[in-house]
Amino acid sequence: MTEKTRENAVSGGIALGSLLFLLWVIPTFTPAYPGYGVSSALLPNAVVGVILALSVLQLVVGLVSQHKAKSSNTDKDTLEDGETPSGDQIYLWHFASFMIPCILLFPALIFLTFIPGAFLFLALIQYLCGQRNIRTLVIVSACTTAVIYLAMVYGLGVPLP
Amino acid sequence: MEIIIAGFIDSLAPFNLMFVAVGVTFGMIAGAIPGVNGPMAIALCVPLSYYMSPMTAIGFLVGLNKGAFYGGSISGCLLNAPGTPEAAATSWDGYPMAKKGQGEKALRMALYGSVSGDVFATFVLILVAGPLASIALYMGPPEIFALICLAMTIIAGLGTSSLAKGLMAAALGILVGTIGMEPVSALPRLTFGLYQLERGIALIPIGIGMLAFSEIILQLERRLHVGGDCDATLKFSDKPEDRFVTKKEYFQNFKTILRSAIYGTAVGAMPGLGAPVASFFAYDQAKKSSKNPEKFGKGAIEGIAAAESANSAVCASALIPLFTLGIPGNVAAALLIGAFVIHGMIPGPLMFEQNAQFIYSIYGSLIMASLFLLVIGKFGLKASCKVVSAPRVILYPIIIFTCLMGSYLGAYNVFDVTLMLFFAFLAYFMNKWGYSHICFIIGFILTPIWETALQQVIIASQLDPIMFFKRPVAMILMALTLFVVTKTTLASFKKT
Repeated sequence: MTEKTRENAVSGGIALGSLLFLLWVIPTFTPAYPGYGVSSALLPNAVVGVILALSVLQLVVGLVSQHKAKSSNTDKDTLEDGETPSGDQIYLWHFASFMIPCILLFPALIFLTFIPGAFLFLALIQYLCGQRNIRTLVIVSACTTAVIYLAMVYGLGVPLP
Repeated sequence: MEIIIAGFIDSLAPFNLMFVAVGVTFGMIAGAIPGVNGPMAIALCVPLSYYMSPMTAIGFLVGLNKGAFYGGSISGCLLNAPGTPEAAATSWDGYPMAKKGQGEKALRMALYGSVSGDVFATFVLILVAGPLASIALYMGPPEIFALICLAMTIIAGLGTSSLAKGLMAAALGILVGTIGMEPVSALPRLTFGLYQLERGIALIPIGIGMLAFSEIILQLERRLHVGGDCDATLKFSDKPEDRFVTKKEYFQNFKTILRSAIYGTAVGAMPGLGAPVASFFAYDQAKKSSKNPEKFGKGAIEGIAAAESANSAVCASALIPLFTLGIPGNVAAALLIGAFVIHGMIPGPLMFEQNAQFIYSIYGSLIMASLFLLVIGKFGLKASCKVVSAPRVILYPIIIFTCLMGSYLGAYNVFDVTLMLFFAFLAYFMNKWGYSHICFIIGFILTPIWETALQQVIIASQLDPIMFFKRPVAMILMALTLFVVTKTTLASFKKT
């Protein structure tokens, strides 16, 4: 997918999302006008309207410029030899590999209790970050868990999950 | 006068001073670590401010912000990898100096430039904020509404690659800001049936998720998939002329420092422009007015002085629109609004009437933070250099864990952690697709004031569409907004 195609897809997606908000989400999840003041739906409708208008405008401009680029053959589809991937490439697996342990952290803290749960989480995240030295991995996990536990329980008096 | 003295005395309480010093130290360390920046550090520390008194909390966060501004120059000079965009101009001359073994001298000049710019801007803030706030008190809801429209348009236009994307991000932030109780009817809105959303979404999960967590994921991605780490230049010369900045050298550069501080203060006072604009502009002006412009980029101490003085001046002057109008000048100031709100205060002109003593104690903390920065920066220079080489493979997991526990700290609520992860997810994709999460956060923070002003305008005008034309200041502000939109749109069309 070229950058322009992706931009257009994103603009189209935003426009569709805005329509969904205007037609279903806002009317369903906003209270009815109570008879005084201003309707609660006014501001959400106004800002979603702005998002919809801008995304449609962006989509139109994007489609026109993509059409121009295609007709002048400047729309590149693949990386050429020696080119490095740009910073805006999405690495979904990388993202998910960090998000999944984070989503599971609090259930794990409840199931395993804080100290073992936090220790295992830190060890896993360090491994995902590229730490392969077992000694460092254990020391960092143990020290961080201990410091955060002491700070939260004895320093701030926070009820742990 | 009594209030002023009492305010300054409050700021000198040992506990407050201790936390200002801790904030400066944390900020310096955070800024020195490549990839960690001031807003990220503030976002992570806002939950801690729950446990402090308002004065201590704001002093701590202000110190943190000031420390981080200088800290950014440490990684810029020694790694040529500035953690923050504003430190880029510092690294243009700092890194060549470090390569010559003059890293310590470069950092000292950065420190003196930073403290000088910061002190200058702090005094301007003290002199200007009060009178400006008294003028701002004459502003009614139409003017406030129009002013916020203008500020958001400027931030969206200048702080991002595309005005449309900036405005969409700000609008999305406003939409998220409308979740919770509607201010007039007090009925839950857009809560999707979740009782946890009835109190609205707090700044902490958004700040931590968008500024810290997603940023770490992005940096890890660059490190693991794109590549681009570099080694620190930590070899320092032992010669005194390569280590210290003499009084003569400082005063030779004083004109540049002062001029850059003025640029930085002016830029910081305007919402949206930010420290990078100030430091690049000041650097460029210093080069143009220098007797030896050919030395710039090859290790000119004057370049470091100019860039650092300007970007640190932004740190204090960004508080001018915050204190006088309640509008944040940059993202750090936006996060400070969150901290003020946590402690039951709403920044804006009314603060000078309702919490005058508190304002003066903040001024006191700002001055003390500058002094601490000078002392801690001078004596902790070597130690802070070591932070630069801290292995990121150890730092990143600790920051990720701190993000998760920090978002839990806000309300002892696992739901806030889920929200933090959701906003990190959103910020990741916004970053990839070029939508500014800064605009999102500023839009989110300004929503309550903006919506209240809008509702007051509509109710007072009884839906009269020409309400704005009856108020000249509001009309001018709306015209300026239209002008900014038209000009930026035309400029972007010309580009394509």
